Formats: sequence, C-alpha cells, structure tokens
Amino acid sequence: MAAEPTLKDPPAAGSTVSQPAGANGRGSSRRTSKLSGKTWRPWLLLGPALIVLGGLLIYPLYRVVALSLQEFGLRQLVTGETQWIGLDNYREVVADPLLWRVALPNTVIFAAVNVALTVIVGTLIALLLAKVGPWTRGLLTSVIMVAWAVPAVTGTYVWVFLFDPRAGVVMRVLDTVGLVDPDTTNWFTERLPFYAIATLNVVHHGFPFVAITILAALMTLPQDTMEAAVMDGAGSWRRFWYVTVPLLKPVFAVVTILSTIWDFKVFTQIYLMPGGDGTNRDVLNLGTWSYITAISQNRYGLGAAIAVLLTLLLLVITAVYLRALFRQDEI
Amino acid sequence: MQVRRFAVGLAVVSLLASACGGGSSDSSGFKSSGDEKVSAKGETLTVWIMEGTNPDADPFFKEVSTAFEDETGAKLDVQYVPWAEAHDKFVNSIAGDTTPDVAEVGTTWTPEFADSGALLDLTGQVQEAGLQDDLVPGLVEAGTVDGELYGMPWYAGVRSVIYRTDVFEKAGVESPTTWDELVTVGEKLKAAEPDMITFPVPGDSEYGVYPFIWGNGGDIATLEGDSWTSTIDSPESQEGISFYTDLALEHGFSTPAATTWDEADLSDAFSRGEVAMMISGSWTPGALVEANPDLKGKIGAFPIPGKDGGVSPSFLGGSHLSVFQTAENPDLAWAFVRMMSTGKFAQEWGQQSGFFPGTKSLLEDVEQQDDPVVAPFAQQMVDGGKSVPVTPLYGQVQGKKTVSAMLQSILSGDSSVEEATKQAAKEMDEIFSRGE
Repeated sequence: MAAEPTLKDPPAAGSTVSQPAGANGRGSSRRTSKLSGKTWRPWLLLGPALIVLGGLLIYPLYRVVALSLQEFGLRQLVTGETQWIGLDNYREVVADPLLWRVALPNTVIFAAVNVALTVIVGTLIALLLAKVGPWTRGLLTSVIMVAWAVPAVTGTYVWVFLFDPRAGVVMRVLDTVGLVDPDTTNWFTERLPFYAIATLNVVHHGFPFVAITILAALMTLPQDTMEAAVMDGAGSWRRFWYVTVPLLKPVFAVVTILSTIWDFKVFTQIYLMPGGDGTNRDVLNLGTWSYITAISQNRYGLGAAIAVLLTLLLLVITAVYLRALFRQDEI
Repeated sequence: MQVRRFAVGLAVVSLLASACGGGSSDSSGFKSSGDEKVSAKGETLTVWIMEGTNPDADPFFKEVSTAFEDETGAKLDVQYVPWAEAHDKFVNSIAGDTTPDVAEVGTTWTPEFADSGALLDLTGQVQEAGLQDDLVPGLVEAGTVDGELYGMPWYAGVRSVIYRTDVFEKAGVESPTTWDELVTVGEKLKAAEPDMITFPVPGDSEYGVYPFIWGNGGDIATLEGDSWTSTIDSPESQEGISFYTDLALEHGFSTPAATTWDEADLSDAFSRGEVAMMISGSWTPGALVEANPDLKGKIGAFPIPGKDGGVSPSFLGGSHLSVFQTAENPDLAWAFVRMMSTGKFAQEWGQQSGFFPGTKSLLEDVEQQDDPVVAPFAQQMVDGGKSVPVTPLYGQVQGKKTVSAMLQSILSGDSSVEEATKQAAKEMDEIFSRGE
C-alpha cells in the first residue's frame, strides 16, 4: 500500500519530456514514432509492476465492489449466474442495528485506542533505545523483534491462555491476591474486558514496528540542531516536543497511518478469541462481521458490502489524517 | 383419421420425451445399474475423507485401496481434510470446479451442497442395489432434498452423557433417568467433589441444548407447506432451555469459563479430570482415554434422560458419502460408495472410529454387543436420534451461530431465556424467509 504514491512519478516524468519535443513540430513523422516510443517506454517498464498490482490489488478490489452489488450465495457460486441487486446489500447493512451499536463502535474505538497506545509505547521504547549503549540496544532490539515476529495466531492463543478463566496465569495471580473470583468471572463474555485483552495483544504485536522505525529516524536526526537547543537552554521535554517531534513528523505520519490501517482491519486477533467467531454478538467488529456473513453464511454479497464500507471508512480516515498532518505544501 | 394421426403423433412425442428423460438421467451421471460391477483399469478415483474421525485411518484405507483395485482395477487417491476447514474447502472447490469424485460430507452440509447443484442424485443407484430399506432413516432424512437422495449414509454418531464411574461411586449415585434425578445426582456429585465441574454447560455448543428442547416437547423449527418457522421461542422450548441453562445458573453445576467453551474445550477439561459428567459424542471415549490414560476404565455413559423417564432425543450426526457432479466416471464412484457404506468395510470403520454404521443390519450387530460405553449410545441412537431442520437454510443458521449466541447470552447473564429465545427465533425466521 505504502509503495503506491512513488509509482505515480515515472509516467508523469515521461510525459513532461515528450511535450516540448512535440511542440517543436519539426520532422514530425520520424519524431512522432520516436515520441510514441518515449510515451510507451515508461509504461513498458512499469508493466510488470502494474500487472502484479492489478492482479493482486485492483482486480480483487473490483471483484469485492462488484460482489457487493449482487445477491451472491453458494448457488450463484456454482451455477455462475449473476444477480445484480443494486444497493440492497448496503441498505441491509446500514439498516442493521448491529452496525451502529456494535460493529462500528467496536472497530473505531478499538482502532483509536490501539493506534494511540501503539504509537505512544513505540515512541517511548524508541527514545529509551536511543539513550542506551549499542550492546544493550542490540539486545533489547532483538527481544522486541521477537514480539513482532510471533505470528498473530500464536500470539493470540498465548494471550487467551494467559487470561483463561480457569487455568490462566492472570486469573490465578489475581485470585491468590483476592481481587477476582474465578467462580464468577469469565472475561471473554463481556465487551470491555474482551477488547482490553485484544488491546494488549495488538499493542504488544504492533509496537516493535513503531519503535524500530522511530529509532531509525532518531538516529538520523541532525545533532547540531539538538546542540543548539541545549545551548538555548531547552530542557529535555521541550527538546523532544519542539525539536524532535516536528523533525520526525513524516515518520510519525507513516507509522500512524499504517497502524490505523492494521488496527482497523484487525481480524485474526478478534476471531480467534473465545466468542469472537460470532457466538458473542457484542464483540463483533467490521472485519469479523464481514467474514462471518460471507464465509460462514455464504452471503458473499452482503459480506462484500461490509468490506467495502470498511475500506471506504479507512480511506476517509487516512485522507483526513494526511490533511491534518500536512497542511498545504508540506508534503 | 385425424384423431388417429394425432394419437400416433402424441405417442411419438411422448416416446421422444421419455427418450429425452433417459438422456437427462444419463447426463446426471450413471450409466450402469447400481449393483453392477465396474471395470475401470488405469483410472484413479479421488476421494476426500475427513481427518480425525478414525484415529488411525491409513491402514484402513490401504486395505480399501487393495480391495477396490481388485474389484474395479482403478486406483484410489484418498486425501484427508480436517473438519474445521472442510466446509470452506468444499465451497471453494465447488466454485472452482475442483471437487473430488467422491467425498465424505457432513450430514448437515449435504442439503446445502445438493441444493447448489454440486452433487449427483443417488436414489436410482440405491434402489437398483436394493439398499433403500436397510439405510438408517435419520441419515436418509438428512441426505434427502426434494425427495432425492444425495448422500449415502456412511456412519453416524450421537451425543449422550459421559460420566466418571469413580466419581459416581464416591458420591454413591446411579445414572439418572429423569430430569429431576439429573439435578439430584448433580447435587450429590457437587457435594462429593466440590472442586470438579459437576455438569459443564458449554456456551458454544448448540448440540448440548437440543436434547432439552426436544425432551420438553419443543422443537427448533417446523415446516408448514414449504416454509420453515422457528419454534425455539415456544413455551415448551423455552422451558427446556431454562432447565438446561439453570443447571449452570441456578444449581451451579457449571463454571463461568464454560460460557465460552466449545466441545473441544469441554473434552479437554474432561481429560484433565475436571469434569464429573458431560454431554459428549459416542466417538469421544476413545480419544478421552488416549488424551489421559489415567481415565481408562473410569468412563461410563448413559442416554440423556427424558423429562419424566425414557430418553431425550439427541442430534443424530454423521457423514454421508456423496458423488460430485465433476466425477469423471460416476459408476466407478458409486462402486466405491457402495463398498464403503455396506458390509465389511462399513463395519470395520465403525469399530475403529467409535461411530455407528449407516445400515440397520450392521447397527443391530453393534447393539447386541454389550459394551458399557457403546450400548448406551446405541440405545440413544435407536430410541432418540433426531435431525436438525433439513434445509440448506439451517446451515446458514448454524453459520450465524444463532443457537450458540443465544446460549452464551443466557449463560453470561446478558439476557433472559425469553429475550434470548425471541432474538434467536427472529434471526432464524429472517434467514428462513430470505431463502424461500
């Protein structure tokens, strides 16, 4: 996803080269053939990448949108017939109280909290890593990379096991201390504790990327600016807030946007938790709701409509983000 | 003259029509009659079998392959598919035209796949082979769509109560035979072993609650004309559901952890030695002992008691063998289906997997053996085996986890039995009305 903007540049560059030559108008026939060569060459070079992107990204996206406008179940899947129903799927989704009371709040609030926590924790860890010596830094970096490298499935099962209502370590410790009674408690049945556990899981899995990226940016900060700030008598808090943060703005933008995208479409970490696969309706989010509708109930059209809404929501939020972060020509 | 010519014309037309009819049954696949021997040297038959039903399926299928090659000359390519991903895999392969020739299909999926046009109608073959009267009715019912049989009954299992004989002995109790007794026995077990879970009520297992709905005279849904209506919120159903959930909420026989348990979690807890009795399948005792050898000889079973005696009906689940429309040689596929579902191999499969064969004659053999963890299940199957609504739409209800969601919301205290059943009935009716 992040690579897309860079792709726009080469064809644009190609056209600016060809225009003044064409305006000359001399030796037109030979030149036009040469010219057209110049116009298609960038496309030729871009071809492989475009074909891969088209096959892996644009075609599926088109299919999802097309599906969302159809009544598409197992029968249509087998017979291959197409039944267009316009916006009926969207109407059904929007009219479903589940969207407004459960899926949307769960998705948006969860993402907001998780992005904030991931970026804050990641930044703090990065600042710590920048302070310590190279050996300690190497060791700590390897350790936090492990948290990142653990597959989401494995990580989720570990967190679920930690909070297991009978055998989990957390329950046992809290029981010994006398804070929680395992005879009356199951954290997974209620929305807030459920999502609190999911938050631990997602932040734990997501912060290493933020920490490493920001650390890399911190290492490249010009030292003279920092020294100048020290000379001016700025304390560490002011140095961080008025020097480091503005300089790192583009990096913060990237990690925030990527985290937003990841945390909005979080699926595995929710689906694999007890009750997350649809038995506990209170904890559905847009991702699990879409999957359960499409795959478990074979209502692919309706599931696709939910997925499209999720994508649109993400696009809007990302656009607003970008605008807020980079007003006018900063970008 | 006119009339005669017309009559001749009519005869010709109807002859043509019947020839066409014959033609269309040809295009439905089978060329030879259902009891003929097939010779298909050099061909290979692809078969999907669910993984884990038979703990050690390889030697069994080696033997089947040899016998099959001896009979037909064709080779057998058996592929194992885990239950958990099987439904998705079937759907994807149906979409991509990559279905196998023959597959084991879970009985609740058969109507769904048949309805989508992926399976061949086996009615004619079964009749030609003279098998129609020997098949277990519950399984035939589950495999029949619009009067045509799409799944050949292969094996079946049923859920009853599995209990710890040592714990029962310690508490000095016998197997309960009514619902009141179930509660009395539970109280005594709880007093004798307060640290154990007396009778866990798992929130993510719909098959645990059905016996109490059916046992109280309720039903999940009823068919009127050709439309289904949910009756899970009828007073009878609600009362049965209340009794079941109150085992947890009022009598404290369960644990809050069980609210999010599925059947696998339940079995895990039992094999850890934490459970006194539970609703479990006829195929599970072997696996429970394998998971914890200390339980050997300590497991007993009894049919789910009826409210005032007798047996509460329990879901009769199992597998069909179905021939897919992509089969290159349907006759060869049928030869395999027949070989697997009747006679020696059906019997051996049942013995090895802890399931019951899908033919009445073989089932009677099993009933006559007096195994303490087999006989109660056989009794449950014969006296109280029942099917969930036979319609592809019920597959959607199950996909939406309507019944589990209902149970879980009652067990977690989020809603009352009345609210939860009303909500479940509403969901079912929405799905039913959309499908017709």
